[in-house]
Amino acid sequence: MLKTDGVTIRFGGLVAVNKVSIHVRKGQITGLIGPNGAGKTTFFNCISGVYKPSEGHVIFDGKEIEGMRPHKINEIGMARTYQVINLFRKMTVQENIMVGMHTRLKSNFWSDMLRLPKQRREEKFVREETEKWMEFVGLQDMADQQAGSLSYGKQRLLEIVRGLASDPKLLLLDEPVAGMNSKEKEEFDALLRRILDLDVTILMIEHDMKLVMGVCDYVYCLEHGTLLAQGVPEEVQNNPDVIAAYLGGDE
Amino acid sequence: MNNLIKSKKLLGCLIAIVIAFLVPTFLGGASYLCLIACFVTIYVIGASGLDVLFGYSGQISMGHAAFYAIGGYGAGLLNKYLGIPMILAMILAAAIAALIGALLAFPASKLKFHFLSLATIAFGEIVYQIVCHSPNRITGDFNGFFSSKLDIFGLKLDTNVKFYYFGVICVILFLVIKQMIVKSGTGRAFVAIRENTQAAEGMGVNVRKYKIIAFAVSAFFVAFAGAMYLGLVGYLHPDMYLQKQSVLFVTMMLFGGSASLAGPIIGAVSIEVLLEGLRTFEEYQMLMYGVLLLIVIIAMPGGIVGAGRDIKSRFLRRKALKQAGKEGQ
Repeated sequence: MLKTDGVTIRFGGLVAVNKVSIHVRKGQITGLIGPNGAGKTTFFNCISGVYKPSEGHVIFDGKEIEGMRPHKINEIGMARTYQVINLFRKMTVQENIMVGMHTRLKSNFWSDMLRLPKQRREEKFVREETEKWMEFVGLQDMADQQAGSLSYGKQRLLEIVRGLASDPKLLLLDEPVAGMNSKEKEEFDALLRRILDLDVTILMIEHDMKLVMGVCDYVYCLEHGTLLAQGVPEEVQNNPDVIAAYLGGDE
Repeated sequence: MNNLIKSKKLLGCLIAIVIAFLVPTFLGGASYLCLIACFVTIYVIGASGLDVLFGYSGQISMGHAAFYAIGGYGAGLLNKYLGIPMILAMILAAAIAALIGALLAFPASKLKFHFLSLATIAFGEIVYQIVCHSPNRITGDFNGFFSSKLDIFGLKLDTNVKFYYFGVICVILFLVIKQMIVKSGTGRAFVAIRENTQAAEGMGVNVRKYKIIAFAVSAFFVAFAGAMYLGLVGYLHPDMYLQKQSVLFVTMMLFGGSASLAGPIIGAVSIEVLLEGLRTFEEYQMLMYGVLLLIVIIAMPGGIVGAGRDIKSRFLRRKALKQAGKEGQ
């Protein structure tokens, strides 16, 4: 599904990500962990087109995508959420999801302006789909509320369905449960499974070890921009380097 | 519920249209007052055009007087030198302005708010200079530019009342176009860019393309308004296109309330009436714009429409609280 091959990102003299190669397999949940400042989000930004890698390749679905603009990458089937919630705050819940469907629409400026039959049909389809997605995460009663007025946990859920609405093959989640309460966290497990059932592969950055160890099929650990360890959750969890990185080391 | 709101809004629009058509009757056909009403129709189209750009897609322009000039002079020159009928020349000039707007937006779409406003001020200045010192003096430079008044294929709009009806029809057409654009996928892309450009791009919105579309649409509106001015007055002077004209459009849009249908209408009507009422203090015009802008920015950031919405939601909340209190007892 997604492969990176020796991806390096430099900001001036600073190497934020250093020769990272990962492999995300179709139909799996892959976890990306590591202490704060390890370069996880920078790496995500590189995959989703915000940054261009200084070296290395990003291969998505058999295509090299490094250097592509983010909106193009979304179009070919990759959606993402953000560490700091990036919703359209003054738009309603419904409208947020509708924007998520943007790349699936064929109507353009002219058909919008002239309200051609094609455009009307498509708007109806958009409304129905949006309804479906709101039910998927239980936001249907808040359709007309402004996204900015939702609770933190609900905003996270909205961001996820906004991403799903673009019908992606791969979903990148950047700390999806940060800010959720314990009940929401518990339900999140099941939500991830339901997303997998939609034939969507997941790559997730997360600090909540319980969640990572519970749901991930494979885990990569980053530290100081380099890959420290990888393997199934148990392996990574018991890796002395990983423990040292998280607890501060004991040299 | 949704249908009820929709039909209520539609009814509101119909009432507004009826009132608009009755205005000359209210004014008793007084020519000067009707002239001001004509200016209002022109400004409604101009301010609405700016609203597509600023209110919906969040891009500032402090140089829209340039498009106003391109519309006016463009229509006049096409009519005078190429013999194109005035009404077609007006549409053509607006289309040319849209193209120029798109070309301007191509590099300008990279600029953030204050840098964009500087770039558009510079653009306004360039167009002003071209109008003042035109090649072969085709614009008449500081003598001004004269043209015949508007007639639409033989139908002469020789009185202000007649022009006013034409103006109202144009306003309706342009506002329908505006609503079609903003209440659609294109409009959602505009608002998404305004709300969060990074996320919009992440959700597959081609930010640059939509910024260019917003600029072009907005230029088309303002340029057509400029061409209407020429059709109404039959005379243009470079000093109409100074920086203060751009500020006037911004003031009208912000005062009425941006990102709304009614906002630019309310803004254009109230500011134009206010300015006419204070005609004797004309040298203080810039000062008045400044004061009005300050009032809006500090006291009512959503303009009149936004303030109305606030009051309504506060009223509804109080009502809901009272209701809850009653049920509690």
